[in-house]
Amino acid sequence: MLEGVRVSRKFGGLRALTDLDFAVEKGRIVGLIGPNGSGKTTLFNVITGLYPADSGRIIFKGREITGSKPYEIARLGIARTFQIVRPLMGLSVLDNVTAAVLYGRENIKSMAKGRERAEEHLKFLRLEEWRDAPAQHLPAADKKRLEVARALATHPDLLLLDEVFSGLNDKEIEESIRLVFRIRDELGVTVFLIEHVMKAIMGTCEKICVIQYGVKLAEGTPEEVSRNPAVIEAYLGKKKSC
Amino acid sequence: MYVALTESWNLLGGYAGYVSLGHIAFFATGAYTTAVCMSRYGISPFATFLLGGVFAGILAALVGFPVLRLRGAYFTISSLLLAVVMQLAFLNWEFVGSSTGLWYKPVPVSIVANRTIFYEAMLLLAIAVTLVARRVERSRFGMGLAAIREDEDVAKTMGINTPWLKMKAFILGAFLAGAVGGIYGYYMSYVHPDITFSMNASLLILLMAFFGGCGTWSGPLLGAVALSLVNQLIVTFIGAEISRIFYGLLLVVVIIFMPDGVLPYMRGLLAAKDA
Repeated sequence: MLEGVRVSRKFGGLRALTDLDFAVEKGRIVGLIGPNGSGKTTLFNVITGLYPADSGRIIFKGREITGSKPYEIARLGIARTFQIVRPLMGLSVLDNVTAAVLYGRENIKSMAKGRERAEEHLKFLRLEEWRDAPAQHLPAADKKRLEVARALATHPDLLLLDEVFSGLNDKEIEESIRLVFRIRDELGVTVFLIEHVMKAIMGTCEKICVIQYGVKLAEGTPEEVSRNPAVIEAYLGKKKSC
Repeated sequence: MYVALTESWNLLGGYAGYVSLGHIAFFATGAYTTAVCMSRYGISPFATFLLGGVFAGILAALVGFPVLRLRGAYFTISSLLLAVVMQLAFLNWEFVGSSTGLWYKPVPVSIVANRTIFYEAMLLLAIAVTLVARRVERSRFGMGLAAIREDEDVAKTMGINTPWLKMKAFILGAFLAGAVGGIYGYYMSYVHPDITFSMNASLLILLMAFFGGCGTWSGPLLGAVALSLVNQLIVTFIGAEISRIFYGLLLVVVIIFMPDGVLPYMRGLLAAKDA
């Protein structure tokens, strides 16, 4: 579904991504992990077009999207959440989702219809009790769910989740793991997620891609990756020391 | 007049959060269109105000292309420059009367009738602009603009064509301001760069919107009416000098105690009462 070929991105002299190859197959849940600053979020920004790639190609559903505008990519069917949650703070929870529905891929133009669809999305994420509250008043965990709701409201084929599990307690993590499966199984959306919480990664992903300093370190099933000596040294080893 | 101007400013400034200090340039474009049409070509005034709007809209499209790429304070500064540069250009441009301004015959009716017509036309236009703003606010367009105001990058990832949406709001706002200027042109029967491009007016528009509460159709309406009234009352009964001071104080109070504007503040109070 999504494929990257030798994707690179530099910030001044810093090579955030170097010749990175990656692939996300349709209908799967794929994880992207790596130590802090390894370029995970940059990769998401490159995929969604917020930071264009310097070189390399990104292909989505057989179409090259390298260099496309963010809104064009969104309309082709890639939605994302942000690591530091960015709901539209001043708008109500319902309006956040409604705006996404109205500009999403379902081609709903009327306010009333858009509201209706938005309510369904709120139900899917169990946010309906917050419907009329301004987004800024939501507790952190609910803000994260709102990010997911807004992303899903555009009716994507591929959802990029940027650390939706971080800062949650155990119960919330369990719930979020179920949520990721519901997104894939009930909505048929392919999921590509960045995560630090090991439990969540091992519990959801069928394939994991590990990057470090913008270079791919390993790729494979959770078991393969967690046995890979390079990964243990770079990632898990580092974790132990701190 | 200020209701219409403030509402038209609010389309981009309030809904999308692009605070412009050059809105008066569009108003002046409209006024000058009327002035030039009447003094040089003798075109009937009742067609020129729309033409003024169209010219202002075209100007917005040309200027908007580069300027709308800027965000925050950078956009505000460059919008201010638009007004300043145009004022300078008009001061030196023979065709539009340069620094002597442009006199032309008023509409051939008595002064009283002229005032009445002007008043009624302005009132109609103010209502029309307010209705447009209200419609925009409750539409898909308005939702998109609000998303841009809250977080432009997020708006992009939601599939919103942000440059185009901003451009639409900018052009629509400019068109409406141009039409207002066009009508103002008949009434004054004189345009001069210092008056028509008045920086004070640009500021006043901004203050009125912030006073009432921008981002809603009713905020600028309230702000424009309230501030105009206060201003008139004080000038009439106390004196123009006091009016400035009072005005300033009022704004300081509003901005400190009701940073979102008077109207959202009142709504908050009402909601608190209900709860």
